[in-house]
Amino acid sequence: MALNVSYVTRETTKNLGRNPTLTVASVITVAVSLTLAGVFLLVQEGVDKLAGNFRGDIELIVFLDPDISTAQREALAASLDDNPEVQDFHYVNQQQAFEEARELFEDQPTTQQLLREADVPPSFRITPTNPDVQSVNSLRDVYEGEPGVREVESATEAIKAIQDLSEKLIRGVFASSLVLGLIAILLIYNTLRTAMFARRREIEVMKLVGATNWFIRVPFILEGLVQAVLGGLLALLFMMAANTVLFGALSDGDYFQIFTAFDFTMATVLWASVKVGVAGVIIGALGAGLAVGRFLDV
Amino acid sequence: MIKLENVTKVYKGDVVALKDGSFEIGKGEFVFLVGPSGSGKSTLLRLLNREEQPQAGRIYVAGKDIGELSAWKIPYLRRNIGSVYQDYKLLGNKNVYENVAFALEVIGRPRHVIKTQVPAILELVGLAKKQRNYPDELSGGEQQRVSIARAFVNRPLILLADEPTGNLDPATSVGIMRLLDRINRTGTTVVMATHDRSIVDTMRRRVIELDRGTIIRDQARGVYE
Repeated sequence: MALNVSYVTRETTKNLGRNPTLTVASVITVAVSLTLAGVFLLVQEGVDKLAGNFRGDIELIVFLDPDISTAQREALAASLDDNPEVQDFHYVNQQQAFEEARELFEDQPTTQQLLREADVPPSFRITPTNPDVQSVNSLRDVYEGEPGVREVESATEAIKAIQDLSEKLIRGVFASSLVLGLIAILLIYNTLRTAMFARRREIEVMKLVGATNWFIRVPFILEGLVQAVLGGLLALLFMMAANTVLFGALSDGDYFQIFTAFDFTMATVLWASVKVGVAGVIIGALGAGLAVGRFLDV
Repeated sequence: MIKLENVTKVYKGDVVALKDGSFEIGKGEFVFLVGPSGSGKSTLLRLLNREEQPQAGRIYVAGKDIGELSAWKIPYLRRNIGSVYQDYKLLGNKNVYENVAFALEVIGRPRHVIKTQVPAILELVGLAKKQRNYPDELSGGEQQRVSIARAFVNRPLILLADEPTGNLDPATSVGIMRLLDRINRTGTTVVMATHDRSIVDTMRRRVIELDRGTIIRDQARGVYE
């Protein structure tokens, strides 16, 4: 197939300029869809990192009654020792706990003064074998209500809440980017169909004199791809902006400690952009492929 | 050059365009297809460059069974067949030179070939002086010459013409026929569908007559009826 580069460039440029409204609409839709997809990828990455941060130091704290008997305490220790769900545990006695509490309320002298060693409960600090929410919860149920146990606490509720929220968020963003992606495909398809209709006489003559199908198709396919790539570049800019402004502000630490997980390196953003760019090319190719397959048969 | 063996083409709704048609056209022949409107002349031409496929029978062009051609080879078949139509099918946004050059450009001919071939063919059809004119600045006869130039610029083996004089007055038609005759003398096989009695009767070439899809006459040096 002898494809003349100057012919293809000339035709593609002409096609893009022929219907600027539709071209711009396609490009913007691709850009918005890809931006959402990119944000989706980044949020997912952030949530993964966030859950990872929590998982790293997740622990279960079994607070004991200050007046627990030694026998009861040793029975609990033995039970923890035997439990396969418990990876590791250590005992924090009242004195150590009192020190911890004093440190915790360092900047609140009033509270600090009210603290007395006898009020601070001793505890077992447990590292679970499985850090996921369900196993930690079932472990908690085992020890809650045991004789001598005052209360069992873990960070699972907080993690669960964050996971639930982010899952909903991710689903929403993902669904919107899918819908917009589909619309982008249809828009590119329609833009190309219009372009082909405008050029139907030329296409007829091309077929008549024996131009190959690919020769006829390539300028249109390129038109679709150019639209998708332009949209992809816009999306890249949007994503960089979103990363600096939005996630940047969140992860500043002034708001919430947990959002430090959303501080992405440029590499992460670029990697997400590459994935999104590939999605863009697929959108362009699908739109163009559908249009070309349907309207340029011999 | 062209051979039909028991070719039948039926359109939707049982419209028979060609019924069990067989004939052979040798290299360099000039053949008129005559018959009333709807008798199947255009269909026959469309079968020859595979714009249509028959339901039955075989069609050979230049020794090849074109029914066996895979889709991607059809363009190469058409590079050997020039086509001329009653409505010229010129591109209004291109001038005479560009219309003819377009045909070479889209089959990937290099620029230096285009630069020599196009002026030569425009000279042949007598439009060298109107190269920069647009189709709507030309008379019907001149437009048909451009379309013939476009069909012939690639030196095809076969030229198919579907009522090329259908929109032209008798004097202009004679000019077009002289041109087609000249092209035929270069060894190109010409198959022309027409309603023009005087042209057929003056030229005295082979005549194939169709009536509702059936070949009812095949006469060397024939007349219109």
